[in-house]
Amino acid sequence: MTGWDDLTGGYQDVGPAPGDVDLDRVWLGVAAQVWRREPGPAERAAARLLRSPGLARALVTTPSLLLGWLMATVVILVAGVGFTLGTGTPWVALLAPAVAAAGIAYAYGPGIDPAWELSQSMAVSDRMVLLVRALAVFGLNAALGLAASAASGAAAAFTFGWLVPMTAVCALALAAATVTRSPNVGVAAGAAGWVITILTGQAAQGRFTAAITDSFLVLPYLAFAACCGAVVLFATRIPRGTS
Amino acid sequence: MNVELTELTRRFGRTQAVVGVTLKAGPGVFGLLGPNGAGKTSLLRMMATVLPPTSGTLRLLGRDPDGYGPRREIRRRLGYLPQNLGYYPGFTVTDFIEYFALLKDMPPGQVPRAVAAAIEQVGLGDKARAKMRTLSGGMLRRAGIAQAIVNEPELLLLDEPTAGLDPEQRVAFRSLLREFGQRATVIVSTHLVEDVAAACSEVTLMDAGRMVFHGTPGELIARGEGHGVGDAPLERGYSAVLAAARS
Amino acid sequence: MDDDALIAAVARHDDTALRELFSRHAPWLAARLRGVLPAAEVEDVLQETFLAVWRGAAGYRPEGSPGGWLWGIARRQAALWLRRRGPTELLLPALLAADGRHPGDPAEAALSRAELARAVSALGPEGGPARETWRLMYVEDKSVAEVAVLMGVSAGTVKSRAHRARRLMRAALRRHEPAREGGGR
Repeated sequence: MTGWDDLTGGYQDVGPAPGDVDLDRVWLGVAAQVWRREPGPAERAAARLLRSPGLARALVTTPSLLLGWLMATVVILVAGVGFTLGTGTPWVALLAPAVAAAGIAYAYGPGIDPAWELSQSMAVSDRMVLLVRALAVFGLNAALGLAASAASGAAAAFTFGWLVPMTAVCALALAAATVTRSPNVGVAAGAAGWVITILTGQAAQGRFTAAITDSFLVLPYLAFAACCGAVVLFATRIPRGTS
Repeated sequence: MNVELTELTRRFGRTQAVVGVTLKAGPGVFGLLGPNGAGKTSLLRMMATVLPPTSGTLRLLGRDPDGYGPRREIRRRLGYLPQNLGYYPGFTVTDFIEYFALLKDMPPGQVPRAVAAAIEQVGLGDKARAKMRTLSGGMLRRAGIAQAIVNEPELLLLDEPTAGLDPEQRVAFRSLLREFGQRATVIVSTHLVEDVAAACSEVTLMDAGRMVFHGTPGELIARGEGHGVGDAPLERGYSAVLAAARS
Repeated sequence: MDDDALIAAVARHDDTALRELFSRHAPWLAARLRGVLPAAEVEDVLQETFLAVWRGAAGYRPEGSPGGWLWGIARRQAALWLRRRGPTELLLPALLAADGRHPGDPAEAALSRAELARAVSALGPEGGPARETWRLMYVEDKSVAEVAVLMGVSAGTVKSRAHRARRLMRAALRRHEPAREGGGR
């Protein structure tokens, strides 16, 4: 096309931008699309499900739902499957609650959220974020654990029996993490609590798996989980004022 | 009136952080001055709905923040920059501001443009896709200011916003404050007295939880005449008022 | 950094390079587009232009002229916009491009829709040969062969009618500006 040759070297001579064109506005339109990262399919689905784009964004930025964490969880559970197939002890059932508790402790709270105080001033309340994240982490860990359990060919009692203790252990980890503002304390509390429970069961009934299979433990587990839940509610109701 | 505080008090155990503060503020830029421990941060936290008062009444943007619904409505129209703002290291500046824009319930269609505008307004246009862990202290502070203004708040609360900013950036920041002050109530807590002089139409001075002065910068300067210690007129007024309050 | 290096940086997804490119080139691109489009549309087209630059910077060949490359993208975006808007605006850039005239020419900027309508009416009554040929070829984008079939004449007749239509419009548009020499292709 002719006219190209006019352009080399001479284009700046056309003069300044016309007064009625708002170049700042144009740049903002360009920057708006160039700078942002498009939300992935998981976030888009979550936004529709939760009817809140903010809550969806908070969910996908959960530390214990990030890819690295999930892969570590899968690795541990696969190892558990391996051990189970090798030794006959239902390792998946013993490991899954502890792994889930660690995930819950790292899902929420002042210990893992550097902008904690700011998060407390948001329209999407931090309690909603807590609820959604805890449910997501718990649900995901339960699903992964169930898959691993089934893969390891465990009996039904072992496949599902650990879900209730897992609830209790997760509640303990969350309560400890929230109250002490430290996710590590939460993990330690959850892991320690679970180990103590297993060992107590072993001492009382001679099997490591007593903690999982005894049906009369179900109510105590759930009651304990409810208490821990109440602690979490209380700890998140009163915002900490001292700095 | 965007802010109406009546005898607002906040106690932590036996410590009185804020005692009987009464304040009314409409649109404009208001300075909150005082030494460390004067209660400025606690007062701002109460206005940011992060801390409930122990006693007294608080009305923000015509609503009582005690109820969940009104509190959510206030927070949608609020911008807050805490004194200590952490950041998510792996986030870019855009991610960071967008995160809080979404948590403030901004309509998602408006968010990208509003985030871009906020970034340009604080002069971080060159750093929009830089990871937050690569930013200097002053840039992090400006990112914090950007998240506070992204939703065009009606109530803007800034706690020590100019920490780490160089003089040129502080000048730019003050003109940003004046621009917001035309439509919104902007409350700036600072111990840098000259920040206040340049941008604020009214100043509140706090000491040991109490309000010891409220008026224009000119009135504060007048209080310092003949008494006060300091290099600048406003500093003299500041020290004169504090001395009088403590005697 | 010179423009070639900036465009190469944009191809590597350096957004600060895009920002610099925008501050250097958006003003003159806007001025040139303003000669063809109203202000609000200039903003939209300029935005699409730089988004296209962001996406397509890898396709830039350093031997070319950066300004020319940018203007090429802008003009394509302008044409896309015009095509979306509807037939009556279609003729203007097609005409100007065909003439090879400098679209930033102040004379072009003075052109208004009324003048365009006047120029179209210079082609004769609606349904007349020149006007109908113009409408089918430039407004409805039909090929010479298709127009020949539609009008029931030979391809050669279509071509000479199209040439006459262009000549008439050029003359009508030129009536409002100083005489230029050698305005043809």
